[in-house]
Amino acid sequence: MTDSDTVLRNALRKGQESMEAERVPDFDAVWASAQSTANRKGRRTTVLGGMAAAAALLAVVVIGQMRGVEQDWQFVDPEELASSTYWAAPSDVLLPKHQFDLYGDIPVLIESTDSDGGALL
Amino acid sequence: MRDSDVLDNNPHVSRSALEAMHGQVFGWALSRCDFQQATAEDLVQQAYVELLTGKARFDGESSLKTFVFAVVQNLSRNRYRRIAARLRLHNRAGQEAATDVVDPIEPGEHRDLWNAVQELPARQRDIVELVFCRDMTIEEASAVMGVTTGTGRVHYDRAKKALRGKLEND
Repeated sequence: MTDSDTVLRNALRKGQESMEAERVPDFDAVWASAQSTANRKGRRTTVLGGMAAAAALLAVVVIGQMRGVEQDWQFVDPEELASSTYWAAPSDVLLPKHQFDLYGDIPVLIESTDSDGGALL
Repeated sequence: MRDSDVLDNNPHVSRSALEAMHGQVFGWALSRCDFQQATAEDLVQQAYVELLTGKARFDGESSLKTFVFAVVQNLSRNRYRRIAARLRLHNRAGQEAATDVVDPIEPGEHRDLWNAVQELPARQRDIVELVFCRDMTIEEASAVMGVTTGTGRVHYDRAKKALRGKLEND
């Protein structure tokens, strides 16, 4: 650092010190306010975090319950089908009209399969 | 560093270290906000909140002083971005913003020099303050200002030339 730098530095520092001397607030007061703000922020974060966790838990429970409502799939049992001439559609709720005896109640065939002089229409 | 002193969310920062540099940090905050006392107090408090909550985390990669000064610098930048937007609205409405600006220095032997510093471009003014008044190296000052050391050195040289020129002319 040159002499002129030193002169400049000293002059500026004196000016700066005289400017700040009376104005610096008490550290303890500023620190106490900062701590109280930080604690408040921390509490707010905790509350928000708790609310988010509760919302996530609620979502999991609701989704779980919605899955429970789904019906179990039913499949045709070949042995059961072979041992009886009666068959019902697996989903009785959805297809109540589709119950018939394979040999007794022949379902109405669609018209296009009716024979007409030995040939299908 | 006393153990009881260490901040919970910032293990490399102690209350006593912050207390030791409190005056300097406040001075830096004061010059960040055109010497508005209340704003400078807010800035310093906000910087301490950032350190207490760990939002600004010091990992010992620079000096603590450089780090805290940079936190104040960033906070003041954010603050002035918001204020600039608000001022534009005020100006549109034809209102003037209220300020609590105080005359930073009493008339005296350093008045001319002080005025000369205040007339420098912002970055030159900042580096002069950090190097001459806050005992930082050009590298540290550049880190606080968020510029490269090379850029910081250029601002420093230009500021010194400008100051010498102004003082010689006066």
